[in-house]
Amino acid sequence: MTSTTTAEPSTGSTAMADFGRTTSRWGQATMIAGLLISVAGPLYLVFASGLDVAPAQLWIAFAAVAATFGIIWIVEPLTYYPVLGPAAMYQAFMIGNISNKLLPAALIAQTNIGAKPGTRRAELAAVVAICGAAAVHLVSLAVFVGLLGSWLISIIPPSVLLVTRLYVLPTVLGAVLVQAIVSMKQPRTTVIALAVSAVVVFAVVPLLPSLAMMSTAIAVLATIVLAWFFRGKSDAVAVAAPAHIE
Amino acid sequence: MHQPLALQPLTGTGPTDILSVANNPVLWICVAGVFGVIVIQSIVFMRAARRAAPSVDMSPQDIRTSFRSGAVSAIGPSLAVSLVAVALLGLFGAPAVLSRIGLIGSAAYDVSAAGIAASSMGAKLGDASYTQAVFAVAFFAMSIGGAMWMLATLVLTPLLRKGDAKIRSINPAAMAVVPAAALIGAFACLGLGELPKSGIHVLSFLVSAAVMGLCLLLARKLGKSWLREWGLGLSIVVGLTAAYLAAGPAVGA
Repeated sequence: MTSTTTAEPSTGSTAMADFGRTTSRWGQATMIAGLLISVAGPLYLVFASGLDVAPAQLWIAFAAVAATFGIIWIVEPLTYYPVLGPAAMYQAFMIGNISNKLLPAALIAQTNIGAKPGTRRAELAAVVAICGAAAVHLVSLAVFVGLLGSWLISIIPPSVLLVTRLYVLPTVLGAVLVQAIVSMKQPRTTVIALAVSAVVVFAVVPLLPSLAMMSTAIAVLATIVLAWFFRGKSDAVAVAAPAHIE
Repeated sequence: MHQPLALQPLTGTGPTDILSVANNPVLWICVAGVFGVIVIQSIVFMRAARRAAPSVDMSPQDIRTSFRSGAVSAIGPSLAVSLVAVALLGLFGAPAVLSRIGLIGSAAYDVSAAGIAASSMGAKLGDASYTQAVFAVAFFAMSIGGAMWMLATLVLTPLLRKGDAKIRSINPAAMAVVPAAALIGAFACLGLGELPKSGIHVLSFLVSAAVMGLCLLLARKLGKSWLREWGLGLSIVVGLTAAYLAAGPAVGA
């Protein structure tokens, strides 16, 4: 993998050092602001809107999510760093939809101005391209989801809304599971994951209903242990693709 | 609508009017705040890039070309994300969908986090047990999940920038096997967990999975990458259509 932090022509080093300082200072500041604002909404709802939610329920929910995705929280920034470079990291993890939108945007921009990946020029092109992508994304969300979507919800028949609410979860998960299996390209791990999950869902949970809230965490842990134990030789040399689906 | 919990049955017929809570003005203000932060960040980064550009032989025309390329290539994916977001509006309301699925996170992780949080309270998203309190906890779980991603980025980026040898020397076999196992394990368990709920859940799951499989297959065979971008949105729409046809009599359609 090429790194965006490789040596650059010495003439550009001062200006690029300035770029690095500005983007890391402002990148951190804006990301911390985004983090606080995004958590403030649900905390307001939980504690100030009159709903009776015990703090313990929040901790339990957090623990259940952390047990499932905790590893991904750390691995994803690690795998994207070599592709994105430091400045774009602060953009990408706040804007989201990295692999399906921001990476293609950056690559196309680099191609269009003839910047070789790994150079300073390519790093700047990626940052600028992500700014362009962010602008389009914010506008389309505001128009199609904020305005049009809210209007749509108000006019569709109640029966459609009911069906959507009841069955959108299995449709999201069915598609996402297929996407994860195909993009990871690890048949052995896939078989293990499906077998483990089938045992957890159809045997463990019905027999021990008290484990239901931990079922996903159990499945994740068991899949990791078994996949590691039965890993093929080829997996050891395979380069880790960005562990990620969107 | 703000009844104390003592007056509510724990499951069944609790106040399931999620949208009245989900459209709370404070949540809209928070969404506007996230939009604003991204706008400010983009402006600062654009200015910094413009200043640094001449030093690396990047002309103002190159900057314009890069911005335009990024913007144009994001049109398709942004519309695809919007379609997925609209499908989730009925479940989470606009502010949560805009900030979680549209920005910061993504449909896969945030819907999963919400489902996990709901089941930690003995509830299921979308049905009668999905009360306002469950929504609040699910929204909290999605948001704190996204916050942990940002926290990891904030901690790791400076370390990686310094070229921390320890982080770069993580066992490559572990980096190949463990994240894939965690991801497939999580989505397999969450997905299969939908199946015992009802026959229509099974149908929705299978139809959506089949559509996604077809999209990915055609994307590869025909070299059409837009099929990959739109895969999730198409799967949800076709899956929900199948569910609607199957459930028609039950919901009075």
